[in-house]
Amino acid sequence: MGDQSLFAELGELESPLVRLCIEKATQSGDAVETWRRQRRTLERLPPQLAGSLLHRLHRRRLLYPSLLEVFKYSVERIDLSGENSVDAEWMAYLGAFQYLHSLNISDCHRINSSALWALSGMKYLKEVDISRCSKVDDAGIKHLLSIQTIEVLCISETSVSTAGVTLLSSLKKLSKLDLGGLFITDTALASLQVLKKLRHLDIWGSDISNEGASILVNFPNLTFLNLAWTKVTILPNVSSIACLNMSDCTIQSMFKGEGNKARLSKLLLAGALFKDIANAFLYFDSNSLSFLDLSNSSLHDLSFLSILHALEYLDLSGNLIGDDSVKYIASAGANLKTLNLSNTRVTSAGVAVLVGHVLKLETISLDSTATDDLAISYIGMIPSLKAVSMKRTHVRGVIQQNGGDAECVLSLTALENLKQLEKLNLEETPLKDEAIIPITNLKQLTHLSLRSSFLTDASLHHLSSIPNLINLSIQDAILTNAGIDSFNPPLSLQVLDLSGDWLLTKDALLLFVQRHSDIEVRHAHVTTFQYDNGDTKYHLPLQTSMRTSQQRRFSSSPLKSKMAAIIDQRLKYSRAELLSMQFASMSAAPFGEPPTSPK
Amino acid sequence: MKKEDTVKLISAEGFEFIIDKNAAMVSQTIRNMLTSPGGFAETEHREVTFPEISTPILEKICQYFYWSLQYASGKETEFYIEPELTLELMMAANYLHT
Repeated sequence: MGDQSLFAELGELESPLVRLCIEKATQSGDAVETWRRQRRTLERLPPQLAGSLLHRLHRRRLLYPSLLEVFKYSVERIDLSGENSVDAEWMAYLGAFQYLHSLNISDCHRINSSALWALSGMKYLKEVDISRCSKVDDAGIKHLLSIQTIEVLCISETSVSTAGVTLLSSLKKLSKLDLGGLFITDTALASLQVLKKLRHLDIWGSDISNEGASILVNFPNLTFLNLAWTKVTILPNVSSIACLNMSDCTIQSMFKGEGNKARLSKLLLAGALFKDIANAFLYFDSNSLSFLDLSNSSLHDLSFLSILHALEYLDLSGNLIGDDSVKYIASAGANLKTLNLSNTRVTSAGVAVLVGHVLKLETISLDSTATDDLAISYIGMIPSLKAVSMKRTHVRGVIQQNGGDAECVLSLTALENLKQLEKLNLEETPLKDEAIIPITNLKQLTHLSLRSSFLTDASLHHLSSIPNLINLSIQDAILTNAGIDSFNPPLSLQVLDLSGDWLLTKDALLLFVQRHSDIEVRHAHVTTFQYDNGDTKYHLPLQTSMRTSQQRRFSSSPLKSKMAAIIDQRLKYSRAELLSMQFASMSAAPFGEPPTSPK
Repeated sequence: MKKEDTVKLISAEGFEFIIDKNAAMVSQTIRNMLTSPGGFAETEHREVTFPEISTPILEKICQYFYWSLQYASGKETEFYIEPELTLELMMAANYLHT
């Protein structure tokens, strides 16, 4: 019944019949026509059903401005982020929605200031997200001021200036304000002081200085503060803060000053430069600090870690720390669940120090370190582990026994002690087929990533016996067509990544794909699916563009990973539909490839 | 069918649908009404009235109950929904937690 991906989309709806009805109602433009005039029924739709119906129509590219009208009495939340066709016409219809309280039109590049006029005076709108709508400027803010109910406003990376932000002081109910990537100065913060309900403030990448930062003590409810990529070096004692981000800042002091000590739970300091690391942690209450990101921050001395007993997440990647620092990590390891030591100078001896001190550790990353098979035997002594990553290390899969005949022990057998291990990443380690065999005993394994030019079909065959495998990646290996043909994947497998396996031909791969239609295969020969969509509502997504009048500060913002410049058009179809289209249009060539005749 | 194994579902217009109890319990809502110890009138008389659900929709719901039992026992067919009924059927299904 149906397709796995369909149910993943509508996962929030527990009811199967509701899912069937929505699927039927959104099957095609004709299906929509049969019910779009049932006005009285549409007015009675409960909000979450109306929302599911609207968003399903949107994902199937069946939504257009005048169709929005049927939802104007029922829908309360709308997310059209990344949709490039959304423009002033859409806003005109959305402005008529009676009960809308959350609107997300981030990354909708056609939205400009005048399009926002349509929203003026909406009575229940509480959340507005227009992040990265670069055409919105101060004039657009003026339109939003008439919506006095706004509590959450995200205008990061728009063209709003300090003058526009100053106007926001009239929105007295604001509790979350995202002003990231805007060229605002200290005067903006000064005028925002009246927003006493402000809990969450994002001013990353702005022109705020220490003077502006000193105003922050006047916000009594501020719990989340993001000052990343600013010139702020001194943070005053804003005692309400629980989560602070000062990544990529030069830090002189944090929380030094009179008053109660701030009780921090989350601290992000990636890429920060410390003037005085030893004292940096003294001025706030670190008893509840559970999340600490100190990646790439030129650390040498980790002695400050010993007072942090509540740590659950610790990222020390990209620092020049070695085995002598691991004892400090061990002293803070009682509650540690996630540890990232990639790109450090830690070796297998360092990993040995951790054993016995990190009894709750679930995730460990040692990518790009000089660790080797000895480290694997120590990792095998941390039974709580669920995810292990050792990409680009010196792991070879065998340990030479000392003395006489070089007797080899397969190092990965040590991992069999990890009864809860679900994810294992050993990409870019020179593993051979024999070394892989112990992995087949990891019954709970769901994700396995390997990338080694020594792996042959034998490995593929071994790995088919892992019962719960969902995601399998064997890249750059010498797998052959015969191996793929005889591969019997475990029933749970959903993704098979064979990128870089250059001996595989397109025909063999397509045959495999046909036989196992519920597995997503990744390989250069199995690229984008051809879709023949005569729908005029289909628009090519535009790339995020640089502003012409003013140079944008960042060509790629620190939050780039959140921006989806390309919408994956495959998402709107279920896997079965994609496959039927693939094989139906045999005459049409996939992107960038000349048509090949079928064998 | 014995009387104890059946349930009566009554639509807005007063039409009575007598169906198998197991079929009716595909709906979480009806299941709760019939099995809860709270002493609902429905539990005693094995009758549930739905003033908000029209007759054609309630009929379709009953068809769905039987189809669902059939599907669960291995006979995997498609459940056809007339396009004009989708919205009302969806709301009834939502109310009934089926």
